Amino acid sequence: MRKSLDLLYKVSGGIAAFFLMMIALTIVAQIIGRLVGVTIDSTESGGFFLAGTSFMGMAYTLKTGGHIRVSLLLSRLSPELSRAADVLGCGFAAFGCGYLCWQTWGMVHDSWRFGDLSPGLLAVPIWIPQTVMLSGLVVLAIAFLDDLALLLRGRVPGFAAPHEPALDDIETGE
Amino acid sequence: MDILTITAILGAILLLLLAGGLWIGATLMVVGYIALDTFSPAPAGSLLATTLWDHSWGWALTALPLFVWMGEILFRARLSEDMFAGLAPWLDRLPGRLLHVNIVGCGVMAAVAGSSAVTAATVGRMSLPELKSRGYSETMAIGTLAGSGTLGLLIPPSIMMIVYGISAQQSISRLFIAGIVPGLLIMGLFMGYVMIWSAFHRDEVPAAAERLPLLEKLRRSRRLIPVLLLILAVIGSIYGGYATPTEAATLGVFGALALAALSGALSWQTFTESLLAATRTSCMIIAIILGAAFLSVGMAFLGIPVTLAKWVSDLGLSPGMLLALLTLIYVVLGCFLEGASMIVLTTSVALPMVVAAGFDPIWFGIYLIVVVEMAQLTPPVGFNLFVLHGMSGRDMWTVTRASIPFFALLVLGVVLLAVFPGLVTFLPDLMLSR
Repeated sequence: MRKSLDLLYKVSGGIAAFFLMMIALTIVAQIIGRLVGVTIDSTESGGFFLAGTSFMGMAYTLKTGGHIRVSLLLSRLSPELSRAADVLGCGFAAFGCGYLCWQTWGMVHDSWRFGDLSPGLLAVPIWIPQTVMLSGLVVLAIAFLDDLALLLRGRVPGFAAPHEPALDDIETGE
Repeated sequence: MDILTITAILGAILLLLLAGGLWIGATLMVVGYIALDTFSPAPAGSLLATTLWDHSWGWALTALPLFVWMGEILFRARLSEDMFAGLAPWLDRLPGRLLHVNIVGCGVMAAVAGSSAVTAATVGRMSLPELKSRGYSETMAIGTLAGSGTLGLLIPPSIMMIVYGISAQQSISRLFIAGIVPGLLIMGLFMGYVMIWSAFHRDEVPAAAERLPLLEKLRRSRRLIPVLLLILAVIGSIYGGYATPTEAATLGVFGALALAALSGALSWQTFTESLLAATRTSCMIIAIILGAAFLSVGMAFLGIPVTLAKWVSDLGLSPGMLLALLTLIYVVLGCFLEGASMIVLTTSVALPMVVAAGFDPIWFGIYLIVVVEMAQLTPPVGFNLFVLHGMSGRDMWTVTRASIPFFALLVLGVVLLAVFPGLVTFLPDLMLSR
């Protein structure tokens, strides 16, 4: 269970990173196209890859401690109280994210039902990129639930991982 | 219930959730949701989904992950190792000598990294030991670093400017160009202070090293010069109107990859690491931007920004007083919020008020970023103070005291920008007029 969950976050993070690379590649295609006189419009494709990066990367970012929150006051509380606040916040976030998934599902379903196309030159059915958003949010909801379960069993949740990796190897001198 | 009461209730919920440690993006969404669901007839749930979707694929926003990625690549290109050796020979003759390496090094690193904590940490990691072994004043070494580390927010390409541009719907190109002169101004203020300080503390500034011939100087900075050229190319392509910020960012990514390959730092591992790190950072920022976008929708539905703008204009504050008041609020906010959150919160609530008071939105963006820089230096949670506290091993009080002069210089910088707004608007206006 633990392994397959971690794999899920890693894979969705990997997909997010791949989409990020694809943003750069579609824009290069646009620039090269302009130089040789072919119209390639990457406004939409770049945007869709961006949405893909953002939503697919959410869970991975959460589990590696990337999302920020104000922990200053929590750290002043007693361990029990601060853990209670964490449980409350994490449970609330899991609930909210689940609700957001449901609402997003409604949006995707509508786009599919009405056959909505993207407004630009590409004119792809808009439910395709929206499905990526939905998948990312579902993985994020799973990640919140996972962290909640970890907290309730008294383990360290993924969101408490130390962030700012660039500062990791700073020694606290002398 | 009147709008001001509702605003106060929403503000209290916002503070409560933030203090309770809920993620910032989520907090903004929740407050927006409550605003819509409780105080307006609009369908909050479906608006939430569509607002998040609409804002997640904007063309202007694509520049953000790309600039973050460029920074991550250059950061891994062993650039920082050469910073001290590369800059020292050029700055050794100035009064205050190698203390200027901190300031100029942060200026260069700022253009690359776009984050003040990373800037201060990277430059400080190699310059603090070097300065100490040469016998420079420790207070000044820490202070210059804490102060100039904040340049990361101001020197383009700056991530904070993209965040502001997206939330306030202003041109990112113009913001980048507008940041150039204020960035140089603040660097100039810092360097000027070091020169004046050194005139009074001659005994704390060691003698200069031997004078190096020009070729030797160039040889020592051979890895810095291509990076400077890359940054100039990125900014220049925007300024000249040849590229949109997104295209310039793509140019930056490929240039950075080429530089990393040339310096032998590019491997499959550094490539994937830089890509994953960029994904994490941009996801974090975009979560906040999306939260703010939804909050703005909620605020706009209730007419809160307009009401606040009217309320403030009824108070009859002069623009100067309004600015002083806002600055004070930001410095307090900066005690517990970091930069991007402060910027998005402002734009969803305060921007109409500021524009109604007659300020140019581009000017206000630059002002806001300098004020956010100041907030990085305010105890108890100035981010740069934390970084330097961790790195130097000195206690928070020593670090804070060392940064006070530089905090004061930032205040002076804000005053200068307010008195001479042309410092900000001159370059972008010139760009538009061509």
